Amino acid sequence: MRVRKFALLLVLVGVCLGLLTLQSRGYGSRASDLVAVVTTPLQAGYAKLTRGALGVWTTYLDWKNVRAENRRLRAEVQRLRVEALRVRETDDENRRLRQLLVLQERLPLATLPGEIIAREWGGWVRALTVNRGRADRIARMTAVISPHGLVGRIVDVRPGSAIVQVLTDPASTVGAHVVRTRTPGIVEGEPRGTIRFKYLARAGAGIRVGDVLVSSGQGGLFPRGIPIGRVRAIDDRGSALFNYAALDAAVDFGRVDEVLLVTGPTPQDLTAYFPSGG
Amino acid sequence: MRTLLALTVFGGGVAHATLAPALRIAGVTPDLPLIVVVLLALRRGPEFGCVAGFVAGLLQDAAGGGLLGVQALTKALIGFAIGAAGSRLAVTQPLVQVPGLVLLTVAEALVRFALLKLFRFPAPLGELMAWVVLPQALYNGFLGAVFVLALSWIESVRARSA
Repeated sequence: MRVRKFALLLVLVGVCLGLLTLQSRGYGSRASDLVAVVTTPLQAGYAKLTRGALGVWTTYLDWKNVRAENRRLRAEVQRLRVEALRVRETDDENRRLRQLLVLQERLPLATLPGEIIAREWGGWVRALTVNRGRADRIARMTAVISPHGLVGRIVDVRPGSAIVQVLTDPASTVGAHVVRTRTPGIVEGEPRGTIRFKYLARAGAGIRVGDVLVSSGQGGLFPRGIPIGRVRAIDDRGSALFNYAALDAAVDFGRVDEVLLVTGPTPQDLTAYFPSGG
Repeated sequence: MRTLLALTVFGGGVAHATLAPALRIAGVTPDLPLIVVVLLALRRGPEFGCVAGFVAGLLQDAAGGGLLGVQALTKALIGFAIGAAGSRLAVTQPLVQVPGLVLLTVAEALVRFALLKLFRFPAPLGELMAWVVLPQALYNGFLGAVFVLALSWIESVRARSA
């Protein structure tokens, strides 16, 4: 038994050494070819099998990676969206402040910039709260403007803030005139949040849709020439004493964030200082 | 059973050329036929280990396109030696398996290197050891231990179900 074991080992070692000797003498190719005839189809089969198995595994790994990447990218997209919103917001604020600054520097008026910190938007009252108050020597009836036009007037002054009655407040009235025709009248706020121009019928025959209205400066409360709005529709009441024109306000009161408070009088017409001044 | 074992040896030799590259870690591939030969030799004795080593090695030689008979010889020797010494080794212990396979891989490499040197093999032994043999030996050790543990687990499950 023991001899058989070693005999087997010796035979196999002999075969190997024989093979090596044959190869060293240049006769190895036939032996190689013979082995290759057996191994090549097997290798091909194995390769196919492993490739298939690896393909499944790779697909699974890819799928897992794609899922993880998808999650990561979603989070990244969310973060970037928030970032973009913040940038857009900052950009917007920057633009608004720059406009306000340009207006403040350009206007021949003493003004004080203010920021809107609250809004009262019920139908009864339409008001904004600005972060300027008694400490800034703000007086009642101070005109409040924005780069787009007239916002309203201060109706209540508090220690650190003031209440601005906007033009759409139902109690708001502002002396105005049509730039093109010089037709005078009064801009009134309406409960539905719009403004209208009330004018004498006999004086307003030439008013057309699209005409620009500015503050008239009558009474000394508002500077003359600050844009108020454009005529959207004319309500011709026939033989009535007054006719009305529905207006599109120059200022989007719901979105105004920064304003200028006019702290001194102005003798000039300011129409030319505003982009929509006619 | 003998057919299955023969297929395992035969398959192990061919699989080395196709499956081992998929198991590559940092450029190191395990010597699957060596692990299979060692495990079979431990269970089946020196004769089986010797034949298994010869067949697996011959197939590896053929697959590698090198000298036929080098790995057939070294693996036949390893299979025989392990099969003969198997009964005296506590091979169920991973502490024996891992260093055992590491040493066997190194021993097989040394014999292979000696044989190849007869045929003017150019690579220096030091570099070969550092970059090929030792990393592969470590890999073989751990993979072999995993094989042994997996086999013993399968056997225990089979025994329990029987």
